[in-house]
Amino acid sequence: MRWKNVRTIFKRELKDQLRDRRTIFMVFVFPVLLYPIMGLSLGQLATAFQAKARKVVVVGAEFLPERQEHAGEGASSETVPLLTPEGKTFDPRLFDSLTEALLLEVECVPAKPPWTDAAERRTLLREGRADAVVLIPADLAGSLDAMDRTEIPIAYNSASEPSQLTEQRVARVLDRWKERIVEVRRVREGKPEGYDEPVRSTAEDVATRTEMGNSTWARIFPFLLVIMSLTGAFYPAVDLCAGEKERGTMETVLISPATRTEIVMGKFLTVMAASMATALLNLLSMGVTGFGLAVQAVGGLGDGMKSRGAALLQAPSLESLFWIALLLVPLAAFFSALCLALAVLARSMKEGQYYMTPLYLVALPLVMYSVMPGVELTVFTSLLPITGVSLLLKTLMLGDYATARRFFLPVFVPLVLCGLLSLRWAIDQFKSESVLFRESERFDVRAWLRHTVTHKLSRPSPAQALLCFVLMLVAAWFISMSAGFDVMALVAMHVGAILGVPLLLAFLLTSDPAGTLRLRPARTRYLLLGLILPITLFPQVCELRVLVEWLFPTPDILKQATGALEKMLSSAWLAWLVLAALPSISEEVAFRGFIFSGLERSYRPVWVIVISALMFGFMHVLLSLFAQLFNATLLGLILGLLAYRSRSLFPGILFHLVNNSLSLLVGIMAANPAFEGLSRILFRDKARLMFQPVWVALGAVLSACLILVLAKKRPAECMAASGRPE
Amino acid sequence: MIEVEHLSKSFLDYRRGWVPAVFDVSFRCQPGEIFGLLGPNGAGKTTTLRMLSTVLRPTGGRATVAGYDVVDQPEQVRERIGFMSGGTGIYDRMSAWELVEYFGRLYGIADGPLHERMEQIFEWLQMNSFRDMLGSKMSTGMKQKVSIARTIVHDPPVLIFDEPTSGLDVMVARSLRKVIQDLRTRQKTIIFSSHDMAEVHKLCDRVAIIHQGRLQAVGRPSELLEQYGQADLEDLFFFLVDQADKVSGESAAI
Repeated sequence: MRWKNVRTIFKRELKDQLRDRRTIFMVFVFPVLLYPIMGLSLGQLATAFQAKARKVVVVGAEFLPERQEHAGEGASSETVPLLTPEGKTFDPRLFDSLTEALLLEVECVPAKPPWTDAAERRTLLREGRADAVVLIPADLAGSLDAMDRTEIPIAYNSASEPSQLTEQRVARVLDRWKERIVEVRRVREGKPEGYDEPVRSTAEDVATRTEMGNSTWARIFPFLLVIMSLTGAFYPAVDLCAGEKERGTMETVLISPATRTEIVMGKFLTVMAASMATALLNLLSMGVTGFGLAVQAVGGLGDGMKSRGAALLQAPSLESLFWIALLLVPLAAFFSALCLALAVLARSMKEGQYYMTPLYLVALPLVMYSVMPGVELTVFTSLLPITGVSLLLKTLMLGDYATARRFFLPVFVPLVLCGLLSLRWAIDQFKSESVLFRESERFDVRAWLRHTVTHKLSRPSPAQALLCFVLMLVAAWFISMSAGFDVMALVAMHVGAILGVPLLLAFLLTSDPAGTLRLRPARTRYLLLGLILPITLFPQVCELRVLVEWLFPTPDILKQATGALEKMLSSAWLAWLVLAALPSISEEVAFRGFIFSGLERSYRPVWVIVISALMFGFMHVLLSLFAQLFNATLLGLILGLLAYRSRSLFPGILFHLVNNSLSLLVGIMAANPAFEGLSRILFRDKARLMFQPVWVALGAVLSACLILVLAKKRPAECMAASGRPE
Repeated sequence: MIEVEHLSKSFLDYRRGWVPAVFDVSFRCQPGEIFGLLGPNGAGKTTTLRMLSTVLRPTGGRATVAGYDVVDQPEQVRERIGFMSGGTGIYDRMSAWELVEYFGRLYGIADGPLHERMEQIFEWLQMNSFRDMLGSKMSTGMKQKVSIARTIVHDPPVLIFDEPTSGLDVMVARSLRKVIQDLRTRQKTIIFSSHDMAEVHKLCDRVAIIHQGRLQAVGRPSELLEQYGQADLEDLFFFLVDQADKVSGESAAI
């Protein structure tokens, strides 16, 4: 790749985008105008909404003590009025301010039908004649005097939001009224203040003003940043790929000496620049508008609320902003590569727009999940490409740098990997003539299916490999849903999903199932490696497991489940069968068999090994424990290398079998007092299965040598590998 | 110079299986020669030329352009080829000058020599009146001139014009043919495809008639007329097409 060409293409595309009125509008004008206008209308709307008074009908107001001419003689001077003498509003002393009192408009009606009739009252409420109805019982004054308890029903319609709000306000008014009556009684009887309220809770907020401000922004900014960088990437991507096809300039670029990789990189950088610009401008504009609105709102509040309100909208700190900008780079890169790959598929701008919907359908729930209250960074959430970033941003804005540091890599690495894979995909798309010169054709499902089954190739395609992976996960999920978490479910999952799906697909989609699943004899050298390498690697595997467990502790529920499973596997042989033998066959057939062959058809070996290892790791996350991701992925890399070099499935099965068997065997041995002497030689920490440093070091050196031997190219075998069937 | 040997291209169609678009095409083209590719729409002209420009990969046979293989050394081929077809449009949001400059840079020409050469080309093709006009505002003739300027900016030894005159008015088409003739005198290897017999007859030194993805005849126009006993190129063309259809009809009947 020549950077000079990439730069030339980038500059041209950027200039082209800047000359496009639509892009300029979407990226620059839209955000700058949108938020102030939204803020303005929101302000107007809020005032309009607030100013509307709600109507409360008080039925039987004549029964209120204050309106009784012969109120109890002793109590008359202390009676607390509920309504003003005119009866148009509630007594203002029952509210915080007069404005609040005016928001509830009262209409007093005598206790006569229609208001006393339940059915008619319902109709009247539904018709909107009142937002809430307060029914004063006829004997209210009497029971107050007798210190009985009386119920005052409030009728409202919970299906209507204004009615519901009115009910809440009226209930609060009645509550305060009650408190004041009690207060009068307390004073009259000369009881101390704590008589009716022995305990009162007061809240003490320890958050500083900056923290309060950050928490407001932390809720909004990550969400907006993600959505806007996606939006900002999509339009230019469609314009740069589908648009070029539509305008007939794609071929012009393709016949220039620039390679496909250079063209994609130039376009990719342009889309990324647009994505980042959109996201940052949106944030800036929204931040300024939000701040303006806040200042306005704070001005209208009472003194006590003022400092709190101001604090809530304190601008985020420079440090937080720095982190936002930093995380935006990989995020924008990921979205840009993804949009570019999708946009190449489209023949026209219009078709490109169609692809937007599924992309948003996937992205939106992932972001929404991160803003849900109570969702925090965990190993699982950090590994989800979009959710992880969003949560990390939230954490950083809250100033929790300790958590952020711990999860920085788990968020960053998958994101960069996803970005690289998407970019790789985009470049592949650009190299495929069927994608570049796609013509519209009539799609007929039957003909297509018939074609797929009759025109089988000897190896599956990468798309079919991906299909296999997805089908495996879906099948495993359905099996685990219906069978629960026990031995039979585990067996069913391995046989039905992980072994069954690749076998089925190999027979259905390829003309050479045995070759696809790589069922050919392996050389003795590789079988030996498959036998010895897991043994030398085992001390490191144990160390890594302990490290991962320390970094990301297993939740207790899962621990219990695993414990229960272990109890069910009563005999050691059964445990070996279910936890070692079965998985080593099923997982190898799937990942080093079908998926490996599918990927090998169009990717270079390095990518085949990396992608299959990532899929292997990801499946372990979904089907068992998060913590297995790192172990499984690393072992997946070595298994991939072994599969690539040996061109056979068997060394991998052997490796897998030895590795899983060792886990079981060592566990049993450490727990058995009969092997006390041996355990002392082997372990420095028997409970956590940590080996003596000497074993760890020896294992590391031996493994490194063996892996080097494995990785080293041999001319004769390279020839054989290059002759693989297309 | 261009050498094409048994070149084939099939596309996979899930309803019809592998559909051949070009089958067993062979020809050569020398410097200082205009080689005409004559055939109706859909005969496989564009597919053949796209394979020469390395945009499509052949499914059989081989082709070399200026000594480089189109499959193994595509970048070297693209550096030495000027390609213009209905599919190679110009950018709407770039001026004539910017577009030619952009491609000149992609060909790796330094700015100094590039601008010097561009001045010459703009002068020669009389493009100075619209050098700062955006592509979207240009007439078809102007666009065609910009395309030609783009095609020759790196002074390639091999030039391929795929139906360059289709859709042009007579005046522009005539001046374009003049340009192509000028390029011949500069010892370029030129392939010119068209479905217009008269045009091909006037311009080309040798022609190949292509129909249903197969070459039906190759040679100098006068020799071909003599060989098949036809009065003009149009008669020859229909004679060959009829013949080919008869053959394919018979093979289908069998």
